[in-house]
Amino acid sequence: MPAVILRRVRDLVITLVLVGTIMFFVVHLLPGNPAVAMLGTFATKAQIQQLTHALGLDQSLLAQYGTWLKNAVTGDFGDSIGFQEPVTHVVATHAGPTALLAVVTTVISLVIAIPLAAYSAARPRSWWTRLLTPVSVFGIAVPNFWLALVLIIVFGVALRVLPIAGYVSPVTDLPGAVVHLVLPIIVLVAGQAALFVRTLRESILAELLQLYLRTARAKGARERVVILKQLLPNALIPLITVVGTSLGTLLGGIVIVENIFVIPGLGSLLLQSINSRDYPLVEGITLAIALSYVVINLLVDLLYVAIDPRVRIR
Amino acid sequence: MLGDVRRRDPVALGWAVVLLVVLLTIAIGPLFAQDPAHIDPLVRLQGPSGAHWLGTDEYGRDILSRVLGAGGVSLGLGAVVTAISVVAGTLIGMYAGFYVRADGVVMRLMDALLAFPPLVLAIALVAFLGSGATSEVVALAIVYTPFLARTIRGTTLALRGRGYITAARCAGLSGTKILWRHVLPNAAPTLLVQASFIYAFALLSDAALSFLGLGVTAPTPTWGNMVDEARPYLMQEPGFIIFPGLAVVIVVMALNYIGDGIRNLVDPRSRAVLDLERLRRRTPATTDQKEPARA
Repeated sequence: MPAVILRRVRDLVITLVLVGTIMFFVVHLLPGNPAVAMLGTFATKAQIQQLTHALGLDQSLLAQYGTWLKNAVTGDFGDSIGFQEPVTHVVATHAGPTALLAVVTTVISLVIAIPLAAYSAARPRSWWTRLLTPVSVFGIAVPNFWLALVLIIVFGVALRVLPIAGYVSPVTDLPGAVVHLVLPIIVLVAGQAALFVRTLRESILAELLQLYLRTARAKGARERVVILKQLLPNALIPLITVVGTSLGTLLGGIVIVENIFVIPGLGSLLLQSINSRDYPLVEGITLAIALSYVVINLLVDLLYVAIDPRVRIR
Repeated sequence: MLGDVRRRDPVALGWAVVLLVVLLTIAIGPLFAQDPAHIDPLVRLQGPSGAHWLGTDEYGRDILSRVLGAGGVSLGLGAVVTAISVVAGTLIGMYAGFYVRADGVVMRLMDALLAFPPLVLAIALVAFLGSGATSEVVALAIVYTPFLARTIRGTTLALRGRGYITAARCAGLSGTKILWRHVLPNAAPTLLVQASFIYAFALLSDAALSFLGLGVTAPTPTWGNMVDEARPYLMQEPGFIIFPGLAVVIVVMALNYIGDGIRNLVDPRSRAVLDLERLRRRTPATTDQKEPARA
């Protein structure tokens, strides 16, 4: 077990260094001087030269990369141009709402998906089961920004029952926070729950081919016990991986949802920093999101090793 | 073959027909529809009518012809992204899976790209490349190539151990010849399944990017930027927002069903699962029966 963890952590470090390197070269190799982009069209030559020097852009690429790597290792990603603060600090102050959206969406999606998939396994002939596939494909296919706007039209404009934008911290005002989170969470859950249902249904059906279920039935277990106690725990294992990998899609969805519902998280910060050409901040946010995505997937993999003894053999 | 498909998977076939109809409408429709760029301020923001089947936008342009025109742009863009990702992903995946020496370095790079959430990486890349069709295609191709490379590498690794590959090697075939003559044809079904899903993802990402104003921007209509343009008017004329979004939903659903359908055709495991589901649906399963009273 410790050997597995060490190997995975080593892989993680290598991946992260590469991730950072990719970001560095994306920013620095692309045509155009970031200083020009940052200052806008009305900048004087002297201003551009000054900023180019301040950003270290007049040094050789390799020297710049060395400096960047040295700073990155110590957690220094430079200062945000818009906020005039260290990038790490700006990212940290905006991470709360994004993390909240991700966690709440994942939990609610699991709470919805697991019973639905289990029910459809137990009642293959029910109409709900027949509806489950088209509904989940729809959930995957619907663009989240469009669903968000349609929900705003229905619940915010026509029925006037829910706020159409804004964010209230759950620490200061829990009921207010819940009311403001309903629509964004519905949008995000639609995609996630659909994905979870599909994964789980497939793994349940694959698991149904296994012989241990017949053994359980032969021993006189009730069908409900067979499904809940024997089948479900085994069928849930692939879902654990999907919870981790689908976080990537979820984070993309959060960027859009935060933008539409004006939630002050990393997603709206990312778009804001792109519009204001705050490149150090764009780089920092992207790296922060990639970092959390990779770390969570590492944790998911380790959980997988802990749960499923078959994986440990490798 | 087609009869087999119709019997096994009528739903996927149905969606394939839907997609075909959509493609034909988008290809032929603009010939009959009004000019998507024609501005008529007298009829701005109107609901569906005989003259404008889906209504008009804030400049009085016909929404139907704009949805059709945008369809051409969005579907074309998605197709180019899919084509580039499939070609690049296949080359990288095949060679990495076949030549152990290339594997470590190349796949580490692919893993690093996969470490970014797809849309976030696309947004960041477009931010640095500048908005527009070319940079959007480049960004999305960079995002989706690693997914294909990873899958094709897995397939190649699995095929490498097969007897006929060893036989080809013993017969003195070069690595490249083995890859193109023996590995690629056997990886083709997987490739087809992946391509249809990548196309679906690319369409959704394109819609999201152009909705955010980062991809193809106005005046060229795409399904995504049409929704963005409609945003300020969502109280006055909801239809303006509904139709471009519906177009995305229909095409992406069709691609998902088609991908599943191809997978059920070529993958024995998912076919077994599908057959099992059919069987359970047809015959009353044990679960539907009343449980006998336990002694």
